[in-house]
Order: sequence, then structure tokens, then C-alpha cells
Amino acid sequence: MTQNRLGWTGKFLAVVRYEILWNIRKKKFLGILVVAFALATLSLAGGHIASAITGDPVEPNPDFVINANVGLGGFGFFLFAIVTTMNTISGEFESGTIVPLLAKPISRTTVFFGKLFAAFLTLLATYCFLMVYMTIGGYVVYGPQNNLHLVPLSLLGALFSTLIWIAIVLLLGTVSRSSLIAALGALGIWLGTAIIGSIIGALAGQGWILTYIPGSGNTGSVGGPPQLGFTVTTGTDSIGPNLINYILHPSWEVTYYKIDIGGTTPEQVQWIALNSEPLSTIILTSIAVALIYFIVFVATSWYFFRRAQVTE
Amino acid sequence: MEFIIETTGLTKKYGSLVAVDKLDLKVEANTIHGFLGPNGAGKTTTIKVLVGLLKPDGGSVSVLGQEIGWDKPDVRSRIGYMPELPKLPKHLKGRELLDIYGRMQGMTAEERGIQIPKLLDMVDLRERENDLIGEYSKGMQQRLGLAQALIGEPKLVILDEPSLGLDPGGMVEVREIMKEMAKEGVTIFLSSHLLHEVQQVCTHVTIINKGVVVTSGTLKQVSAKARGPLTVEAEVDKLSKAVIEKVKELPYVTSVIEEGKRLSVEVETRDDIRSEVSQAITAGGGIVISMNLKGESLEDIFMDLLAKHKRTKEVTK
Repeated sequence: MTQNRLGWTGKFLAVVRYEILWNIRKKKFLGILVVAFALATLSLAGGHIASAITGDPVEPNPDFVINANVGLGGFGFFLFAIVTTMNTISGEFESGTIVPLLAKPISRTTVFFGKLFAAFLTLLATYCFLMVYMTIGGYVVYGPQNNLHLVPLSLLGALFSTLIWIAIVLLLGTVSRSSLIAALGALGIWLGTAIIGSIIGALAGQGWILTYIPGSGNTGSVGGPPQLGFTVTTGTDSIGPNLINYILHPSWEVTYYKIDIGGTTPEQVQWIALNSEPLSTIILTSIAVALIYFIVFVATSWYFFRRAQVTE
Repeated sequence: MEFIIETTGLTKKYGSLVAVDKLDLKVEANTIHGFLGPNGAGKTTTIKVLVGLLKPDGGSVSVLGQEIGWDKPDVRSRIGYMPELPKLPKHLKGRELLDIYGRMQGMTAEERGIQIPKLLDMVDLRERENDLIGEYSKGMQQRLGLAQALIGEPKLVILDEPSLGLDPGGMVEVREIMKEMAKEGVTIFLSSHLLHEVQQVCTHVTIINKGVVVTSGTLKQVSAKARGPLTVEAEVDKLSKAVIEKVKELPYVTSVIEEGKRLSVEVETRDDIRSEVSQAITAGGGIVISMNLKGESLEDIFMDLLAKHKRTKEVTK
């Protein structure tokens, strides 16, 4: 009779391996990785493309890498969350593989957190690859770069930003047991916050609400109205850039504006200042929002998964 | 008597549908126990409760001497389970799957290194061990499903329709594997629609219908509970009145029907009395060309008991 010798850690790592192999062999994950790589390459090649069109030489840009945010924006974070997590729990139920998996001597808690950790590792490896690619590429294309020591903050911010979407996709997938509902539901939330929320926020002057929901958040600016000053977004998608900006400009005060459309010409549009807050407050708020959403959504998913009966 | 599986009043409902209704099931250690019932009888639901995939709504369940609680993985370390048409992760390779499941069983690298090649050889997948499961045929996936149930050398193996999707050769191999495991002291709980398979390998059998045990015991005990008469059918050369008279003289014979060279002898006992009938035919001057017993097969017993159960339920209503 075989004696059990691998403890909890060994079993947890078995789940992690199981999930990572699934992630990296998914066609949609490989597809998104190729798209991200292509977009990063396009971003790097942007200067040369402009140069070829205008005939002007490529200008050195020492801040290219620090502003690149690992080559991804809000939608990029969202897409990576979708491809790494939309099948994590629901896919197991849909394919029936949950049956042999949960019949093994391993607790549902271990399975759940092993899968979550695997998604985190997959993202970490992907973002590290993109970060290194953008850093080396930026140096080669745009010359020596400033503040390279702050680039890991972009990575940290990107992970934070994606983890919220991961928690949302995971929750929808666990409750519905449908990958399609997980993906479409998350897309609906993303569209709601990114587009509708921004419009309502800007026009109604209630943009502060966006600070407390996942996504791009409220938009403010430093040094004047948005068209003149430096634009800052407060949401969880911007944790990385805001952290870097805070280290470079710790005293920044971000002012929020409401648009007053007074007429039909751009000159008649007025920006009305509403309120200001320090960048440090914005960062702390967005990190707190990210953590609270992540913890609440993951805990809820875990609760549902632990109670799930396998009728498949 | 040691029971490997013991349920008392096990109840499982899906909404208003009672899938398993106060089921009392006892499976002795070191037996091959067949679990039979028509579609929707509650076999798979019972099995899923046993392996912790479903939570019972009532009653108690004990496996390998331990109460099955919700999400208590320790008991499962000694249970191997092969689901009906096992759905295995297609993104893994055959060997990877066994390695990962072996780790989940708590096996060390050394143990996995010894057992996995043996299992792959046993299910004849050694040459395809590094192919993705998604590229396997249904039969190969079924065989891998059996291998994953045996990893970690379980004390109890629960097989839900293990022969489904296998070719005749594969079915025979699976039966041989079951017999080998039983010799090594593994208890096998086998749910199957193939009654001849159950009859060939099982020492004990439980028949359920609509979530209720119809009967349970050794094959002989279950056979004795079947109400229908046994019939000996014989093809006889030189069939004469003398032969028929001799057969009718046997004490347990209730009727004898002659049709050409065929003789149908209905008897009251459920013992195998073919030799006595044969001797009577020979004594009457006949020559036995062939002889078989009708009503003895598990299929006959199964149908008879289910019919009896249905009648009892109708009377109760």
C-alpha cells in the first residue's frame, strides 16, 4: 500500500501545474499573447512608422518605457483576465473534468486557490515578458531611458489591475458554471464602467463614483483643465502609472472638472473645476478598492465553489 | 463482517425528485460488488455521494470506516473512482495526467515513477503516453480513465460503467484487471449495464430501482429471491413418451412441454438441476444433444426482481 507522503504543498503545486498547463495550451491565450506582442511591437515601431511617413528623424524619447505601462491598457488587462480565468472553474463543469478532479483526495479550497495562483503566475510570466520586451525595445528604438528602476511598478500595477477583472470573471464563472456568461458578463461590466460611466461622470459631474468601481475610474488633471494639463485617471487600471507619477511628483494635486457645453464650438465648451485631491490619496483609494473587490469577489467565488454539487 | 461501504437511510433529492430514497447499502470488504438498476435508478447519484461530489440530503454514509463529510479529502485518498465515460482534461498528455493525479493522491516522485509505467502498460497506453488526451480515441480515454482510478493503490475502486466504449477485447481486459485487483485485496464496486459482465466478475450484487434497494446479497442469494421459475430447455434425440414420463417423475418438475425435438422442463427449485434432467432423459432412452437453463441469468433475475418491485409499489399505492 502506498503511503501518502506529499503534503498540502505538493498537492497544491499539482493543481497549479494542472492549471498552468491548461492556460498555456489554450488557443485563445496564445492568441491574446500574440496580439499583445503585436501591439507592443506596433507601439515600439510607432516612431519609425511616423518617421517614414513624415520624413522626420526618430526623436529620442527617454520616457517611453516608463509611460508604456507594460504595453497594455485597461482593455488589455481585461482581455488577459478573460483568457486566463473564464474557464478556470466553469470550464471544468462544462467539460465534465470537474468529476475526476474533485474525486481526488484534495480539498476544494486547495483546488480553488491552486487555480487562482496558477492564473496569477501565468499573468506574472506574461507581463514580465512584455515588460522586458518593451524595456529593451524602448532602449533600442528611443535611446537611453529615464527611471528604469521604476518599471517594476508598472508590472505591479498591471497585476493589481488585472486581478480585479480575474476576480470578477471567476465569480461570474463559478456562480453561473458557464464560461460564456463569465466572459460576456465581465465584458458588460467593463463596457459599463469604461464607456457609460465615463460619459455620465464627465457630463453629470459625478465622476467620483467611478473611483469606487473597477476600471479606468474618474479623470482629473494636474496643471490645468484636461486639454491643457497632465491627465490622471483614478481607477484601478491606472495603479501602475499613478504609483510611478507619485514617486516622480509626490506633491501633485489632481483636480476634477465637469464639462459645461455652453455652445456649439469648442471655444464655448467650459471646464468647471469641481474639487482636488492629492495623488497619494488617489493611489491609496485605488489600491484599497482593488483589494476590497478582489477579496470580496474571490471569497464569494470560493464560497460557491466549496458548496457546488457536481451534477454533471 | 467488515463493510467497506455502508449507507443508512441515504437520501438525495434534486428539487422535488427523490433520486435516492433512504438507501441502505452494504458492501463487504474484498468483494467485487455489482450495482445494478435501470436508467434513472439512482446508481450514479449514489456513487457521487460516496466520492464526495454530491451532498446527501439525509442519512449517513461511511466509506472505509469513515463518515463521508462534505469536502473531507482524506477518505478519498484510499478510493479510486472511474466516472461513466470519464471526461479527462484534453490539454494534458496521458502521462502528465497520471503524474498530476498521482501528486494529488500524495504519491512521491519515486512511487509515481514505479506505478505510472505499470498502469500505462496495463491499459496499453505506453506508446501514446506523451500524446494529448484530446488526441485519444474514446476507448483510449476510457482506458486512461481506468488507470487514473487505480493510481495510488486504492483500497476501494468504484467503477461506473467501465466497459462503455470499449471493444470486446478491451472489455475482457477490464474484467481481468478487476479480477486481479480483487485477488490483491481491493474491493470493487461496479456499476454496469452489462449484466453478463456483472455475472462474470461479481461475487455480490445490489439491485436498486427508483432510489430504493430491490435486493442485495451474493449472486446465489439474489438468484434465490427471484420469483420466476427456472426452465431447463433440452434438444433431445429419440424423444419419446418414456423420456417425458421419466422427466415428469422428478420431484421438482411442475410441467413438461414437448415441441418436436425440444423439451421445456419447468421446475420449482432455483438449484441447477440440469444433471438430474439429463439422467432422466437418458434413462427414458433419449439422447441429449444440447441443454440450457433459462431464468438463471442475471438478466432474467434482474427483470424478474424489477417486475416484482414494480408490482409491490403499485399495491402499496
